[in-house]
Amino acid sequence: MDISTITDTFDSWTDNALGWISDNGEWLFDSVRAVLEGTYDGVLWLLQLAPFYVIAMIATLLGWRLIGAFAGILAGLAMIFCAVMGLWSETMSTLALVITATILALLFGIPIGIVAGFVRAFDRFLEPILDLIQTMPPYIYLLPAIALLGYGAATALVATFIVAMPPAIRLTSLGIRMTPHEFIELGQASGLTPWQMFTKIRLPFAIPSMMAGVNQCLMMAFGMVVIAGIVGSGGLGETIYSAVRTLDIATSINAAIAIVILTMVLDRLTQSVARRTEGDAR
Amino acid sequence: MNTAMNGTNEVLVDCQSVWKIFGARAQAAVKAISERGLSKKQVLQDFDCVVGVSDASLQVRRGEIFCIMGLSGSGKSTLIRLLNRLIEPSLGKITVKGKEIARLNPGELREMRSRNIGMVFQSVALLPNRTVLENAGFGLEVRGVAKDERNRTARAALEKVGLGDWTSRYPKELSGGMQQRVGLARALAADPEIILMDEPFSALDPLIRRQLQDEFRQLTKSLGKSAVFITHDLEEAIRIGDRIAIMKDGVIVQVGTAEEIVTRPADDYVSDFVAGISRIHLVKAHSVMRPVAEFKAAEPHCDVNALLRTSPEADIAALIDLTMQSDRDAISVVENGAVIGVVTIRGLLRGVAGTPTAA
Repeated sequence: MDISTITDTFDSWTDNALGWISDNGEWLFDSVRAVLEGTYDGVLWLLQLAPFYVIAMIATLLGWRLIGAFAGILAGLAMIFCAVMGLWSETMSTLALVITATILALLFGIPIGIVAGFVRAFDRFLEPILDLIQTMPPYIYLLPAIALLGYGAATALVATFIVAMPPAIRLTSLGIRMTPHEFIELGQASGLTPWQMFTKIRLPFAIPSMMAGVNQCLMMAFGMVVIAGIVGSGGLGETIYSAVRTLDIATSINAAIAIVILTMVLDRLTQSVARRTEGDAR
Repeated sequence: MNTAMNGTNEVLVDCQSVWKIFGARAQAAVKAISERGLSKKQVLQDFDCVVGVSDASLQVRRGEIFCIMGLSGSGKSTLIRLLNRLIEPSLGKITVKGKEIARLNPGELREMRSRNIGMVFQSVALLPNRTVLENAGFGLEVRGVAKDERNRTARAALEKVGLGDWTSRYPKELSGGMQQRVGLARALAADPEIILMDEPFSALDPLIRRQLQDEFRQLTKSLGKSAVFITHDLEEAIRIGDRIAIMKDGVIVQVGTAEEIVTRPADDYVSDFVAGISRIHLVKAHSVMRPVAEFKAAEPHCDVNALLRTSPEADIAALIDLTMQSDRDAISVVENGAVIGVVTIRGLLRGVAGTPTAA
């Protein structure tokens, strides 16, 4: 038997399976798409409600409260710079994508991580899956998504969700498992119910690690959202992608700067929240 | 340091021949012990299991402070955790307030832990994200006590330990000694009958430690609580405990009052321990006095009724003071109006030096 026929057979199976799923699961994927795009549109609408200087002021305020006055002013100026470059609406589209994907990833990642933190067997089962997700080139996730959901924001969201979820799961599970032994003992000796043990002891100690997970999740989402420009996600990713295709170097650099600014602002803000919760736990 | 201080002899905690064996084959080892009576060494050899606590029996009475003294690895921390079932015993019976705790279902066990048995840890274990007041009220919060009442009780408990002004601070703002006071307040606020103290003062510096020892003893006595107090420091055990159990390699070597342990150590291990302990506040008149008849035979001219008098519970320090005041070299010990013995200078010296007593 020729080896190439095996590969061909395998490939045709995959194609057939994907075709079957997309034919028979049409109603499912249509509704998934509707939900995802609906959420994204909602977030985007909210972000575009205010003019750019209001958003810049919010960034300044958050930066000032969470980090310091200097960082706040810097964050505000950086946001204004995005508007000055004429990329405000793209920046907001990207932000909406990132926020939506991150919320989705946390919505699934945190509960899964909590279960994994308690059930050792489940954690061991997840470990190789998460490793696989994180070692595969992120482009891969665009393909099945585009086949099932079509061109647009929904596909970008699904691919981003897959890429962003693993750190949330890992760090949540780690946080749950890391409760100091003496506090478990305190809980037992005080007669805590299992639920009280979770809410009053384990969760407070897990929060710093979980917040680090949120930060990581956000960073992964940023990376992926730009790549997702290829599938018509809109926003800065798409700007870069079309600028690259027309060799419009100036525009692509501007968009890249806008992405860097947005990433840095959100990274610093969430990192400082994570550090705060850590300070409380000491 | 009298055991029957509160007049009752009700046993609150009763351990009977309790064993704890750690290891993969603990079950088989337990079986071998109960059937063949294996020794610790044999258990380790044959089953590769470590004996944490071996055949321990003790009773803690109401109102009593019971100290368990032992070096690290002696099994004292395991033993105290058996008392509230943080560790399950491998063999033997533990009864708290008349209930066998191994038979309690999870709900009953939680109830028992939250209402009857408080615990204070060496690591203190104050929740860092809560204020001092919230930490002190933790036990009540768990029990579902309303916030107002909980805070009132917690505040009162904090005032008892002298931290009434620190309620809104966070644990990290407090010194080690203060943190341990919060730990004690947390245990007291839940108003348990029994408090388990797991080396609570070991990590503190000597001065603070002494202060806390005295405060703890005074507080426990005035509130009428019973306590099991773990320590690796014999002096601490003597300062605090009504009775002391000495543990070595998982075995309780001796149980007794401080005086009993210091004057009549059960074996070489205990006598090594007590060698450095000052006896002048521990040894009492009744254990250094000579019987009246013996004294009369030796000193026929001395009238025992003319000597200065004291009670059998007077310690050596008091006897020395009396001897200094007296023009004679002897003090008579009187109980219920009758002279029951005579303490001579020779007896005093013997008591201080710790050589075997005449009594």
